Parts: sequence; C-alpha cells; structure tokens
Amino acid sequence: MGLFSKGIKLPKKRLGTATFDLIETVLPKRAVLPLKQYIGEPAQPTVKAGDKVKTGQLIANGDRDNALPLYATISGKVVAITEHLDHKGTTVPAIIIEADGTDTWIKSPTEEENLSSLAPLEILERIHKAGLITKGLLPVPLVRDLVPVDQPKTHLYLTGTRVVKKIDTLLITALDPEPSLRANRYLASIHNEELSYGITALKLITGAERTLFVVDKNSPPCPQLHDMVAADEEETTGITSIDGRRFPVGLSVPLLKATLGREVPIPYGHPRDVGVAIYDIDTVVSIGTSVHRKIPQVDSLITVGGGALSKEGIARIRIGTPIGELIESLGGFRENPAKIILGGPMMGMAQYDLAIPITKDIPGLFALRRDEIQLTEGYRECINCGLCVKVCPVNLVPGMLSMYCARDRFEMAEQQGLFSCIECGCCDYVCPARRPLVHFFRHAKNQLLEG
Amino acid sequence: MSPHIRGGMSIEKMMRTFIIGLIPTAVVAIYLFGIKSLIIMVLSMATAVIVETAIERITNKRPTYRDHHAILIGLLLALILPPSVPWWIPVIGAGVAIILGKLVFGGLGNYPFNPVLVAWVVLKLSWSDRMTLFFEPHTQTQILTPLMAVKEDPSLFYSYDMLELFLGNKAGPIGTVCGLAVLIGGIFILWRGIIRWHIPLSFLLGVAIFSAILHSINPDVYPPVIFHLISGGLLLAVFFLAPEPVTSPVTPKGMLLFGFLAGVLTMIIRMWGAYPDGTFYAILIMNAATPLFNHLKPKAYGRIESA
Repeated sequence: MGLFSKGIKLPKKRLGTATFDLIETVLPKRAVLPLKQYIGEPAQPTVKAGDKVKTGQLIANGDRDNALPLYATISGKVVAITEHLDHKGTTVPAIIIEADGTDTWIKSPTEEENLSSLAPLEILERIHKAGLITKGLLPVPLVRDLVPVDQPKTHLYLTGTRVVKKIDTLLITALDPEPSLRANRYLASIHNEELSYGITALKLITGAERTLFVVDKNSPPCPQLHDMVAADEEETTGITSIDGRRFPVGLSVPLLKATLGREVPIPYGHPRDVGVAIYDIDTVVSIGTSVHRKIPQVDSLITVGGGALSKEGIARIRIGTPIGELIESLGGFRENPAKIILGGPMMGMAQYDLAIPITKDIPGLFALRRDEIQLTEGYRECINCGLCVKVCPVNLVPGMLSMYCARDRFEMAEQQGLFSCIECGCCDYVCPARRPLVHFFRHAKNQLLEG
Repeated sequence: MSPHIRGGMSIEKMMRTFIIGLIPTAVVAIYLFGIKSLIIMVLSMATAVIVETAIERITNKRPTYRDHHAILIGLLLALILPPSVPWWIPVIGAGVAIILGKLVFGGLGNYPFNPVLVAWVVLKLSWSDRMTLFFEPHTQTQILTPLMAVKEDPSLFYSYDMLELFLGNKAGPIGTVCGLAVLIGGIFILWRGIIRWHIPLSFLLGVAIFSAILHSINPDVYPPVIFHLISGGLLLAVFFLAPEPVTSPVTPKGMLLFGFLAGVLTMIIRMWGAYPDGTFYAILIMNAATPLFNHLKPKAYGRIESA
C-alpha cells in the first residue's frame, strides 16, 4: 500500500459528476488533424487538398527526428491543409478531412502472435508508426520517451551497450492524473486483451525486471490484473493500491515517491533517471494494440464531464473531432457553460473556440457551470497561513515562492526549488488569499528558461 | 488559468472561523465579569474597524473591513484585557493594534509582530497599574491572579483547586480565565483546519516539559505542570495568538520549533522574569524569529543538494 498524505481530497461537488459509463458517440463530420500534437517536429503531409482518404491511411509522414506520422481518423476527403488553432492557443498546420460517413478502413488490422521474438527496435518502430505520444503537460513522441534523444538507439539495454541508468521497474498506473478524469480507472476495471502485449513490449524495450501495477483502492480493478500477478511464478509482478481520490497522486512525480520512494531529479529530470519507466494503463493498452495488431492510433479514450453537459462519462472518440461536434454528439449543453476545459478541472486549459480539435494528448473535456468554477477576481497579499505548504505534493513552500515570483526575483525562486513544481494547482485550490500561484510559477519558469 | 476550481477557502472565511472559535470564550467572559466585558469587546472591535476603514480611506487603499480581520484583532485584544480597564483602554489599544501593529507594515500579510500583542504591550507599558488590576469573577473585589500570587509566594499554588482554575473561578484577563471555553474554541478551529496542530501541541509541550523538570526538582517551590498549563493567558495564546497565520512559521519543522521555544520562553519569564505571565512576551519574541524558522523547509522533491 502506497502512502500519500499530501495533496487535496476533492469533495464530491468539485469532483464532477462524470460516471464510469461508456458513452456512444457518433463519428465526426469533420476531423481537424494538427501535424504536430506533441513537442517536436511536425509531420510532412503526403496528401493534398481534394484527395480521398480512408480511415487509418497515412496522411503525413514522420520520418524526421522527433516527428510522428499522422493518419486519417475518418474516411472522406481532404478539404484543406491549413493553419488551425489548437488547445494550447497556438496555430499549427493541420489537415482537415470532411467525412463521407462510411468510415472505410484502409485495411483490416493484422495480428501477430509471437511478440517475444520481435527485436526491440522493431517494437519501437511499430510504436512510432502508430503515432503514440506520452500523456501529461509536455507530451512527446512515446518512442522519444522510451529512448531519449541524446542517446542513440544503440544505447538500448538489450543491444548490449551501456545505458546511463538501468531501468529496473516498470510502473503501470491505473490512476488518473486527476480524480475527475476516469479513463484509466475505467480501463483497469475491464478486460483488455492488448494489455499483456503492451507489458511484454515495454519489458522488452526497457529491460525492466519488475512490473508494478498501481490501482485505485476505491475502484477495484478487473481480476485480469490480479491474475497477471498470480500467474507470474518468478514473483516479479506486483500490485499496490493507493487512494486515487487524493489529488495529485496520479501524476508521475508524487506517484513514484508514494509507491517506490524515489524522487525524479530536477530540473529536466525523467523517471528513467531513477530507474523507472512509468506509463498509464491507457498508454500500455495502446502500445499493445500498435505492436500486436499494427494499427495506428485513430481514437482516444477521454472523460467528458461538467454540470453543463447533458451526458457525462467516458467516450472513445476519433482524434481530430472538434470540441463543438463532440459536445453536439453528447447531446449538447444542458445548461449554459461558464468554461470549457480541455484536460481536467485542476490542470486543464480553458478554451475559447469550439472549432479546436481533440488531439492525442487531451485526457478530457469539461464544460463547467458558473457555480462550479471560481474566477480569480483579484488576489490579496500572502497571509503566510501555510495551507499551501500542507498540501504541496512536492514539498515546496508555494506561498514564499509566489512572493519571489510576484516580485520578479526568479533566481531566488529557482533556488527555493521552483522547478520541482509540477503545476498541480493544489496550492491555488486551498489559498485563502486567492493567489494565482500556478500562474506565478509558470511565468517564472518561462522567464528563467527564456532568459 | 488552471486550476479552474477552488476549494472555497478565503481570508474572510478564515477570520470568521477564528471569531466563531472565540465565541465560547466571549460568552463566558460576559457571564463571569458582567456587561462590562461586553462593553470592552464592542468598543475594541468597533474601534478596530473604524480606524482601519478611516486610514484606508485617507491613504486611498481598498477597504478591507469585509475580511473580518479588524474585528478579530479587536475581539482578541479585548479578551486579553483585565475586566477593570476604563473605556478608553480598549479604544486606544485597538487603534494601536490597527495602526502600529498592522497598517504601518502594509496591512494583512506583512506585519512582523502579532498586532494584538503589540497593542497589549503598548498598553501594559503605558498604563501598567490599570493593566494589572484584576477582579474576582462576579464581583468587583480586587484580587491577584494565580500567577501573580504565586510569583509573590511560590507555596501559594497549593491553595488553588485546579478544576476551578480550569473552569474559570479565578482572576485574570476576561478571555483567559475559563480554560474550558478556550479549549472548545481551539479544538473547533483545529478541526476546521484553520490552524494546524503543530504550534499548539509543541507550545504546550514546551511549557509542560519545562515545568515538569522544575517541579520534579523542588515540588515546594515550583508549581505542578497542570497549574502552568491552565493559568495565565497560555491556552488562549496557544490556540489563537501563537498560530496567528501572518506571524507564525509555515513549515512543519518551523512550527514545531516555534511553539516549543515559545513554551520554554514562557516558562523562563514566568519563573525568573519580572512579569507573572510571560506567554505574550514569549510569542512576541518568537514572532521576530519567524522568518528564521521558515528556513526549516522540507526538502523539495528531486532536489539534489549541491556539494
């Protein structure tokens, strides 16, 4: 049992009322597919306006370093390759497809049974081809996360050359980054055929000897996970449960501390620096699918919620679906929304345009009513109450940091551990002076990184 | 900007919770010392709010009376005044607390010393005769507080019944005589999460350990632990003055050390100082050291200490 006593326990009314029900959605009439849905290089379009495409067809190749290939997520006609707004507020080149309503696939997915005979490089190639990315604030191509850029592929553990730090543990988490998001806990509660393929693939790539499942103690996982632990005769597979309602235990940094007692070094640290590969169950299942059946990622599992939506729950939707169309297929708004957020209510980003597409890195869509959100209407001086110190999951003194940041003393803030901040927002949540602490920290980080 | 939801905590709510926590004490004070103590409280609170609003208006600042902090200052100051004070003592005191204690430093969040205690010290030094005149509850009979009596004749503590001292049958500042009422309010604010357990517990421990050692050395001269814990302004200070947000440390280690040292200092002043009760002085002195205690930070995750 992992221990995690900091952070905040969101009360029911702030947790949102989304359920674990899978909602049926209709295919979008239009898909907006940004050529870059991660940090890296954009893909190179291989189609032009007017081309007919089928679902799963390659429409932009990702042969460059730090690039990923892009596939059509609906069948139809390419109407334009143009600049389009994304959820981060930047304009990116995107391929826009108008659906023909048939959803014809380019080919039926193949299956490959003998996974363990595959070379790690072949597995990486398939993950790359599927276009998978990591989750979180800074999504990168999954291959880049598995094999760091600065290390050539020959530095792989399995190819015999030395690695900087050997990965000993593969941590597969069924917790969601925020308690309001539910996709991972949903996936952990159902049987996933591809999960074991994903685990095998990850073990081959990382060379991890130990596998550890982390599940939420409030939502019992599918017996599949326990069976996997029981079936492992060498006892290298474990399962641990943790209170997933306590935000932000689902984020990798606090989770690593709570389960293995390891701290990711800052700045620029990565779980691999402490010998851990950590992926959520959604990613592992996607890896399994891509390696086992060689089909690219065309849809993603997201949580939809918020008091302003008619239907709340979990939906498997095609990548590129504009927010507006998604909301429409959910039955529209029940009440006037005050804020539409991509991501969770604690860490997501508010959106101002319903044409913005759902990209691969988006875990949820929330349309919150006016009474569910708290607008920052001016803030007061820090009153030194220390509530932020009590909740900070990475042991910072956020109040003091915010004072340094507000007075432009960024170096001082850095000395005090600014880069340990994972921007979870717990300090903001509890602050009686209503200080926008995360905003201060982001600003300071940007200033330091630019300067 | 994320987070898009907030917990609903506000300064106003925090101060209101403090005030609610003081209600049992205030009610008992009125019961024990009559309508006079109500007048002291009302005068003190009203002055605090009026002075604060007036000065904020003169200096063109946003009015802050809505956050209830001035009311809290007024109420706390009234509760540590003797029942005998003339009407102008709480008025001057509240004015001093707001102006010298709070506003000259830039208002809530910036002052280094607890404004209530700053005002109390000013009053004590300026009108020490009026500030040391205590009545027996329900009467106008002038008697000494237990701590004053013991200061003069250490063996006197045997004449006190501890339960009566705890329940309030003693002389003292109007809000400090009934330990039970203060304790109820203190537990309430602890439960509401407005203050944390660190300072009250370590403060009480500091006093308890120090007095236990003294008592075990010579039980005839040094009063037992329980006498020290329930006499003077200790309980009120432990729950409402020492953990005051602005002037107390924020880190767990800092809070523990702050409380413990304040407890030890309280005992040193009580035993060997010039004043019968050292609690308030101890807190003021520790307030000065709060920035120092804030350096006792927990280690931030992933931080590699440079060699």
